[in-house]
Amino acid sequence: MVKNPPFRRVLIANRGEIAVRIARGLRELGIESVAVHSEIDARCAHVLAADHAVLLGGNTAAESYLDIGKVIAAAKSSGAEAIHPGYGFLSENAAFARAVRDAGLVFVGPNPEAMERLGGKKAAREEAIAAGVPVIPGTEQDVGDAGLIEVAKKIGMPVMVKASAGGGGRGMRLVEREQDLAEALMASRREAKASFGDDRMILERAVFPARHIEIQLIGDRHGNVVSLHERECSVQRRNQKVLEEAPSAVVDEALRQRMGECAVALAKRVGYDNAGTAEFLLDDHGNFYFLEVNTRLQVEHPVTELVTGVDLVHLQMHVAAGGKLTDLLAGKDLRPRGHAIEARICAESPENGYLPAAGLLRLVREAEGPGIRIDSGVYTGWEVPPFYDSMLAKLIVWAPDRATACQRLSQALRDTAYLGIPTNVDFLRRIVDDTAFRHARLRTDMLRLRPELADGPKEPPEDLALAAAVLCQAVAPRAGSSSSNGSNGNGGGQGSTAPWQDLAGFRLFEGTR
Amino acid sequence: MKISREYVRGGKTVAVSAEHLEGDRWRVRVGEQSYEYHAVALGDGGVRLAPVGQEFDRSFVAYGAPAGKEFMVRVNGRTHTLATPANKRGGGGGGSDGTIRAPMTGTVLDVMCKPGDTVAADQALVVLSAMKMEHKLTAGIAGVVLSVAAKKGGTVDQGAALVVVEPKKEAKE
Repeated sequence: MVKNPPFRRVLIANRGEIAVRIARGLRELGIESVAVHSEIDARCAHVLAADHAVLLGGNTAAESYLDIGKVIAAAKSSGAEAIHPGYGFLSENAAFARAVRDAGLVFVGPNPEAMERLGGKKAAREEAIAAGVPVIPGTEQDVGDAGLIEVAKKIGMPVMVKASAGGGGRGMRLVEREQDLAEALMASRREAKASFGDDRMILERAVFPARHIEIQLIGDRHGNVVSLHERECSVQRRNQKVLEEAPSAVVDEALRQRMGECAVALAKRVGYDNAGTAEFLLDDHGNFYFLEVNTRLQVEHPVTELVTGVDLVHLQMHVAAGGKLTDLLAGKDLRPRGHAIEARICAESPENGYLPAAGLLRLVREAEGPGIRIDSGVYTGWEVPPFYDSMLAKLIVWAPDRATACQRLSQALRDTAYLGIPTNVDFLRRIVDDTAFRHARLRTDMLRLRPELADGPKEPPEDLALAAAVLCQAVAPRAGSSSSNGSNGNGGGQGSTAPWQDLAGFRLFEGTR
Repeated sequence: MKISREYVRGGKTVAVSAEHLEGDRWRVRVGEQSYEYHAVALGDGGVRLAPVGQEFDRSFVAYGAPAGKEFMVRVNGRTHTLATPANKRGGGGGGSDGTIRAPMTGTVLDVMCKPGDTVAADQALVVLSAMKMEHKLTAGIAGVVLSVAAKKGGTVDQGAALVVVEPKKEAKE
């Protein structure tokens, strides 16, 4: 039985683009959405996209989106029946999932028991071994710094140091020399403590060269688990994904089947009952090794949606309400069709060591056209706060084949402008236009080995660029604002992020000159 | 109508101006070079521009906006951040003047120097946590630490001076 709509009102415990995307999915199902937000996020895109909004207070993640008590109180006071956690923040926190259930609400994600069995890298590894899924040589236990260094000596360098509770590359480091291990462990522990409140580390042999291939799973409360096939996310910088695609150019039907069966076996073993992703490394000989399970909806879920035709947020809501996948997916052909690629647009400067940036977005121009999907969390005039992740939006394209999808993404990036703070848009286009990317010669270490892709061209701007700069200020009213150099120079730090100061030239205090 | 700007290109200051001729035509001067452009504002903040006489061969859509004291312009598929002469170095971490400034608002995780220390140009002196990532900051010059304003655990605003390093007189690279 499929309930329609599955819920009446649902709280989204997240911010930015993913909260906007979930609100959209809820609206399509006839469900009212409740946004939550910090002080500084009062006018964030996700608040504007939702039907209702509740202020959590505070600004840092810890005092807002990570505060379990505040989030559950917001759900109770707004009359929500369920909580969708998005990704990051509380999404993989079993204590939160349990607290939601104890409050009489539905957690839109796996049950906390399954989450615990797969959530930590150590636990997941043990479950994978038991389910017959191949794993990378290493240790599942944090045996202390000295012990971990011993393990590294045994399995051989290079090794990956990872946060036991981690995800998203935080607290994760590649260490190539034994003498660098102690310092790497210290830095990773510190990062892990700050990100997850848990500084336990594990260590594995680094598999090189490799591709990152992951399997999208969806389970229900009746014991069904379905594979929605692979995504390839090999283009990474510092273990954070940059470009993701589906299907993978190197995964054939037989390999897809084998990886899918492994992922499903693991999920069934732990009673998995919502959306999740099993991540693998694939070497040049077609061997794959289990990495971890992300027990949540992922950033890159849209590429799977575009090639399979399913809406993962819709499915999540239905299975959370008790719907059966056998009904929900009945008669659907889930084989991948065409090719989809996602580019993560971030407020950071690859040309300057990937330094993230916060500040006012003075002009946002997002691409449009056939086969183009934008999942955005920003708009012109939005001031990107310094407290959260640097991702602004995702640009996703679909085309009948990979070559056309590459062309489409390149053109869409050309048509994209996020001005006011540094972004990685030019960097993304350099990768997409690179021969190696066009030929799908992808590696998890390709950006590390090709620093010129991050550095960008060295030539100074041509006359056209300088001409365009003055013409924009002469002709386009918004571009011309407040740029009379020196008028707002108050001697302070460069690139101030104070909104009133930056806006003073053009709207709020008109006529005060 | 005429607007004039100065931008830094390849270390040199270039005078750039746009003077309205008639209709959508503008005279643009970039240093010694002179151009004529058609320029039309689009509704979305962009400007369509084409060199006069080449409208059908070379036309571009440009987007421009101030970014702090710099000007960002996106044209022909590339983003340029143009610095003005008063502000040659844009944002970015340790300049070469020996003052480490916070490249963005964040939390100081660690301070690895104290006044009087002799430090190398590429030596990490402060670890800053911002947007959930760690950043190691260097002075960019070799010298002696003059003062340390950063405190471990403290929150700092973008641009705040964290450490001042005095260049070594007889510095050896």
